[in-house]
Amino acid sequence: MVGSLWGQPGDSKSAQKFSASSIQIEPMDSNDVPMPPEFRVAIYENLIAQIEKTGKFQHVYRSGDKDAASAPDLVTLRTTAQSFTKGSQKKREVTTVAGATSITLKVHITDHAGQTLVDRDVQGKVRFLGENLRATYDFSKKVATIIRNTF
Amino acid sequence: MSIQNPKVDVSVATNSFPGVGARIWTRGLFLLAVGAPLLFFPAPARGQAAGAPQAAPSVVQTDIKLVIGGETIKKNSEGTLSVVGSSLQFATGKAKVEVKASSILDIFTNEDSRQDITGAAKLATMAIPYGGGRVLSLFSHGVEVLTLEFTDANGGYHGMVFVLPKGQGAPIKKQLVAMGAKASVPLAEPAPTNK
Repeated sequence: MVGSLWGQPGDSKSAQKFSASSIQIEPMDSNDVPMPPEFRVAIYENLIAQIEKTGKFQHVYRSGDKDAASAPDLVTLRTTAQSFTKGSQKKREVTTVAGATSITLKVHITDHAGQTLVDRDVQGKVRFLGENLRATYDFSKKVATIIRNTF
Repeated sequence: MSIQNPKVDVSVATNSFPGVGARIWTRGLFLLAVGAPLLFFPAPARGQAAGAPQAAPSVVQTDIKLVIGGETIKKNSEGTLSVVGSSLQFATGKAKVEVKASSILDIFTNEDSRQDITGAAKLATMAIPYGGGRVLSLFSHGVEVLTLEFTDANGGYHGMVFVLPKGQGAPIKKQLVAMGAKASVPLAEPAPTNK
């Protein structure tokens, strides 16, 4: 059933869509990539907000939520840090070319049986205007698009 | 008139009942024995007051920005952050969130530039002609970022990020840790101000 997507994890637009009533989002695995805690938290909270906004799931469970155990067709989203470059809004505003903030995370979605539905790298960045934490919002918006295309 | 000047014989009132004097002495000693610990050890009484619902906040910070994680409170809302009883509270004019110290998994404080976190300059400064906005961008204020990770009543993981004036995060972290919050990074001793 999920074979078509496994072969092309990055090409979710043309792939078969899956259905699940609930999703659980795990906190980011830092993978020894140094990242300030506020970025970790902002990634998580933005993911929760953006995935809720897609309306694709009846329940969006946080990690550790006891109610998730009883969800019959729960899918799980995990993120693993790949790279992080903390830029500077000051540099961006002064130079307009330097100071970009960039985060790249591996996004891994599995079904209740542990089979992979999505496995791809997603980058969030803020290049010209806006605060550094906006890179986490950019990342979450891109993950929400993947969710819309996959479910 | 029926009321006349009453005459009170003080000597009779005080000296003619030796049994009453002994009882007063006994009561005085009893009150002293009961009251002395309260006078010399006020902490237990304060602790009881802190546990009560109407406890006075021990740490209060106004004009604090909640960057993210406020559930019912919008991102980047400004409000008052306080430690009340055994909880951390953030209140705006419309809503309030409360996190029990015992539910906090980790607390971080670190200093950053205000612009890096909150984008205070925004587009307004970019509109200043002749590159004035860029010059203004150089004068960012030092701030402290307070990050919390905690669980809700159902066990669900949450995070919150606050921006405080520089040096204001440590007292809150210290107080929360004293009340049972966990912190993977111990509170750093204040750095010397003169280098």
